[in-house]
Amino acid sequence: MLLHPGVIALVIGSGIVLLLILFASATGIRIINRWDIKSSSEEQLDLERKTYLISTLVQYTLLFEIISLFLFIYTADDMHNILAGAMCATGSFNANPYGFPALYVKVISLFISAAWIAVNYIDNKAQDYPLIRMKYKLLLFILPLVLSEYILEIMDFRGIDPNVITSCCGVLFSEGGIGIASSLASIPVVPMVIIFYSLFAIVIVSGISVIRSGSKFYTIFFALVSGIFFIVSIASVISFISLYFYQLPSHHCPFDMLQAEYYYTGYPLYFSLFMGSFFGMMTGIIELFKHIPSLSSVIRLIQRKWALIAVCSFALFVAITLIPIIFLPFSLRGY
Amino acid sequence: MSINRHFNILDYTLQSLLRRKFKNIGIIIVFTFVIFITGSVLLLSYSFKKEAMLMLKNSPELIIQKTMAGRHELIPVGISSEIMKIPGVSKVEPRYWGYYYDSLIKANYTILASGESLSANNRLLKGRLPGINENNTAAIGRGVSEARFLNTDSSISMQTAGGRPMDFWITGIFEADSELLTSDLIVISRADFMKLFGIPEQMATDLAVTVSNETETVVIAKKILSQFPDTRPILRSEIIRTYDAVFGWRSGLILTLFSGALIAFIILAWDKATGLSAEEKQEIGILKAIGWETSDVLEMKFWEGLVISLTSFLIGIILAYIHIFFFGASIFAPALKGWSVIYPNFKLAPYIDFYQISILMSLTIVPYIASTIIPSWKASITEPDIVMRG
Amino acid sequence: MIRTENVTKYFNRNKPDELVAVRDVSFEINKGDFAVFKGPSGSGKTTLLSLIGCMSRPTSGRVIVGDRDVSRLPERFMTEVRRNTFGFIFQQFNLIRGVTVCDNVMLPLFPTDIKPSELRKRTENTLDNLNMLRRKDFLVQKLSGGEQQRTAIARALINNPDIILADEPTAHLDTHLSEEFLSMMKKLQEQEKTIIIATHDPLVYEKEYVNLVIEMRDGMVRQITRKG
Repeated sequence: MLLHPGVIALVIGSGIVLLLILFASATGIRIINRWDIKSSSEEQLDLERKTYLISTLVQYTLLFEIISLFLFIYTADDMHNILAGAMCATGSFNANPYGFPALYVKVISLFISAAWIAVNYIDNKAQDYPLIRMKYKLLLFILPLVLSEYILEIMDFRGIDPNVITSCCGVLFSEGGIGIASSLASIPVVPMVIIFYSLFAIVIVSGISVIRSGSKFYTIFFALVSGIFFIVSIASVISFISLYFYQLPSHHCPFDMLQAEYYYTGYPLYFSLFMGSFFGMMTGIIELFKHIPSLSSVIRLIQRKWALIAVCSFALFVAITLIPIIFLPFSLRGY
Repeated sequence: MSINRHFNILDYTLQSLLRRKFKNIGIIIVFTFVIFITGSVLLLSYSFKKEAMLMLKNSPELIIQKTMAGRHELIPVGISSEIMKIPGVSKVEPRYWGYYYDSLIKANYTILASGESLSANNRLLKGRLPGINENNTAAIGRGVSEARFLNTDSSISMQTAGGRPMDFWITGIFEADSELLTSDLIVISRADFMKLFGIPEQMATDLAVTVSNETETVVIAKKILSQFPDTRPILRSEIIRTYDAVFGWRSGLILTLFSGALIAFIILAWDKATGLSAEEKQEIGILKAIGWETSDVLEMKFWEGLVISLTSFLIGIILAYIHIFFFGASIFAPALKGWSVIYPNFKLAPYIDFYQISILMSLTIVPYIASTIIPSWKASITEPDIVMRG
Repeated sequence: MIRTENVTKYFNRNKPDELVAVRDVSFEINKGDFAVFKGPSGSGKTTLLSLIGCMSRPTSGRVIVGDRDVSRLPERFMTEVRRNTFGFIFQQFNLIRGVTVCDNVMLPLFPTDIKPSELRKRTENTLDNLNMLRRKDFLVQKLSGGEQQRTAIARALINNPDIILADEPTAHLDTHLSEEFLSMMKKLQEQEKTIIIATHDPLVYEKEYVNLVIEMRDGMVRQITRKG
């Protein structure tokens, strides 16, 4: 086990998150079993009060998850010095089989806890708690995620052996390599650029249609393309956007742009992408609740608001990717 | 978005914090202390690391040492011509360095023979380096000059291996970006070095190998090892890793020890937050009776925690910064360095970044906030009608 | 305006110290009424006030405020009704010590999305109407009893409520101040507000403008008298 300060901070942080979610889940199970809106028993009153506790716990969980995600990437970046062969965060994640899975689980639990807060927000708009059981079942889904996140993280730090030579992003994302990551890097740039920008156009157009008309078809379509655009965007960051940021024809690392050397551009970049995809997808997911009488009118308003947030965030994201392409002298032509 | 609402609640929170000054100042003092200690450990270990990196930047990619019976031995200079023949090697240079114990001030000096590439970031405070063939002259580090009250145009005396005294005229005093490197340094000529330590001709401490393509360093190191099985090639990247692991490990260890104190603090915070006074309970009851909701009270408690922890964090980290970079980490430097008595006078280059701040926040603010969640909720569910029940 | 249907309220249900505070109470209060809950202490007046004021929920029965059944509302909606419909005046005034008059009066509207500048203006207007503007930056514990009372009234009026609820408002006041308080309530009633006071003070329930007296004893309604 590495006694690196960042590792200690992460292990403590994830441990706290796990505790919070464990506690929230235990209470959630009670609510699933015992909830009775018509009753005015002491127990029901108590459960109602507990809903405030649970939503507070999940809100703090989300906050800590965001901090811990960046801390995780930062720690990986910091540790590349002690890992033979690692030159950036990618190398540290690759030092053993748990690094990347831990990262993926972190991103997923971030999304799910944000989704929980969104569902809770909608549920609170109605007088009859229409989503209460569904909401706490979703909560039970967060528990295994947070648990596996904790385990993977510990396995990752335990498994990091400074003497094993790891492959760094230069190798991982090199065009001759094998595996998903390197195949992303070797996607020919021109088709990737075309896919990225045309999909962006589709997202924006469908998003605006949701805001204006709000038809069921557009809403679901918009949610779908938002999800696809998230994946395409990550692929594009690895494939060509990173190259413009670093001004190097072969540096594909998606994490370095979070560093001071690149003016922390990664933060607004990823933040806007996460916001856009999250609100884009949620617009479609809450379409499922539209049939509930006490929610239907509320949901329409919320969908328009969220679609607007998503469209603006995506636009900001693409604007950030365009900055180095337009203003920096580097050009991919010829590579 | 209801910005005004949050603003109003924050406004009220600040007021009520000020009203309970004495209660809150206690927790802020303890919290500040926790952050100060944790922050000092972090800042110190990171600036050490930074300095180590700085000094290694200019060292050769590969160092060849001879070993005998598993111990570091003097290496014959003759084999450098053999090493030169290995393709990819661009330069081989013998290095002469060693330690000298000064019984007068009970400290170790690092003695280095001049004439080889001294790190580019070494600047002389005053004077100059001794020439390659200029005997009985020396340039000394600031730590040495302060410990022995020496200045340029005075001389320092050392004892040779044979027991005879040897005088050196001081031509310069070092100042460097990284004082760790030069504080205890004495640079003398090669011939003097051999005489001082009684080293036979044609022997050197080790060999510095410069490689034309850095990525081939490992291959070249392997070749040297197979030709000279009694040598030990040391890669620069390996030294960097060792330093990094050692500093990371040391500060990690201290942080672990310190987490005990942190837990004690959290218990204190919990206790403080749970122990809702009758007056506070009454106040929350009034707020709820006249139109505040549970989530408004929860928000108020959130602001309360945030204000307390950010205030403590700011004070704590500023104090830690001053402690480390202006007072040379006087409180616990020995635990982290522990090398030579000369060191306590050194100054570190101020260095702080986002990463350290986020580690420190995760170690202190996150546990604090988490420990206040349940007590805050308990306070927030106070029934509004308690104010009527009297 | 307000209707209760067979309202019962238990405290500590199914525990050894179980208590029925209100049992099977039904009545109706109309808009513009000056109503009084009359009865000795422990008769359930205060509990009834907290039930219709959306501070607690009945164990059984229904409470209807306006057209809305509030007896089963989730807390955040109950709070909304409480904040938008009612102004409360408590027996002990329940002002927050160490806080200025102005801030005490503003408190009910802090968690609404009102601009701080507008909130301040509104508070000053309300204080001015009660002749309290010159005291606005005083800490409440520095005020005289009458001034504290007027601060409490200002706080109850800041949200421009339709219904004013007062719990034993004259219990700690001398006759002069009690009369002053009642004349203020009378003025509010003339502004189309509904006044509901829980009291056992004859000074209050014998006033000629009190048009509805609901007499309570042992948690049950003994008699309802409507004048005019």
